[in-house]
Amino acid sequence: MKVFVAALAFAVVAAVGVAMVLSAIQEPSYVAFSTSGARVGDPGHNLTGPT
Amino acid sequence: MPGSFSVLRFAVLKPVFAALALLFVLASPAAAQISFKPTAEAVHEDKLLNALKEGDKISGRVSIPDGNAANLIQPAGRDWRDFHRGKLPWIGGITILGMLAVLAIFLMVRGRIRVRAGFSGRTMLRFASFERFTHWLTASCFIILALSGLNVSFGRVLILPLFGPDAFAAMSAWAKLAHNYLAFPFMLGLVIMFLIWIKDNIPGKLDLEWIKQGGGLLPNGKHPPARRFNAGQKGIFWIVIIGGALMSVSGWFLIFPYLLGNVTELQVWTVIHAVVAMCFIAVMLAHIYIGSVGMEGAFDAMGTGEVDVNWAKEHHSLWVEEQEKAGAPSGRSPHAVPAE
Repeated sequence: MKVFVAALAFAVVAAVGVAMVLSAIQEPSYVAFSTSGARVGDPGHNLTGPT
Repeated sequence: MPGSFSVLRFAVLKPVFAALALLFVLASPAAAQISFKPTAEAVHEDKLLNALKEGDKISGRVSIPDGNAANLIQPAGRDWRDFHRGKLPWIGGITILGMLAVLAIFLMVRGRIRVRAGFSGRTMLRFASFERFTHWLTASCFIILALSGLNVSFGRVLILPLFGPDAFAAMSAWAKLAHNYLAFPFMLGLVIMFLIWIKDNIPGKLDLEWIKQGGGLLPNGKHPPARRFNAGQKGIFWIVIIGGALMSVSGWFLIFPYLLGNVTELQVWTVIHAVVAMCFIAVMLAHIYIGSVGMEGAFDAMGTGEVDVNWAKEHHSLWVEEQEKAGAPSGRSPHAVPAE
């Protein structure tokens, strides 16, 4: 049981770590795929996050 | 007067010109269409799309950073959409539900595979802590990946009507995040599994004999000799490694779109990802079945790491001999055994 719980915990920690790393090195789509002139304000959210 | 004569002559000839014009129009339908239906010769969408060959695209020009936004029409995208909305749910449904049906029938016909000699009460180490950690790391990630992936294919039909749009959207958003990020520990688990178990999963002649005898799964069948992993377990290992590799590579194309290919390649990888996933899930259902309900004593191998000695002798007789020769400790009694 301890091994199982440790595996679950590691999976969550690893996933959160990867999310933080990717968020740090990647630009949001509303920055990467548009110019400043096309941003009319708060991009809002949808299923893919900030748009 | 010459001028009066010209006007008079034109007035006389006017009906003749009109008749000639009418005759010309009637004699030339195409000209008539151009005159009266200027859009009739416009490009028909179907003809245009059918004229485009595999990989062709109709592209425009954009000034935003996303150059892919310049693609206006890509006919292969329609085939891809039809596959995802039409064929894939059928493939997945038949594969997964078919496997569940086969397992249910197998359970009803064969019943649970028992330990013939009964539990001895003595156990031996089957999987060390790190092996079990790796197994459960990969397995727990796989379950979340499978459920969140199935939500993409079936959620709109099965879950949306039950939960409503708001709850379904929130759940799908979280499922998508879990899918993207738990893929990384899943891939890590695959790599570790490959490294620690490859030496015991090389196919050999013994496996052919195991397959010929049905692996002891048939009613009244004797369990053939096997080393640490029998042919069935080796099959599962290679399915996990090869299937996991395909899922991982195709997953990289999806999580980082356009990084390594164009939209056509992206569509191909999504199809591979989806089809392999359905087959992968079906095979893992069989693995879960045989490791829990289907075989008495099997779950302990990954549960506590210790298996009953009689179970080990029946399913992995050669491995038990190797362990005994190597002087591996056995005969532990971690569980209370009822007195006989």
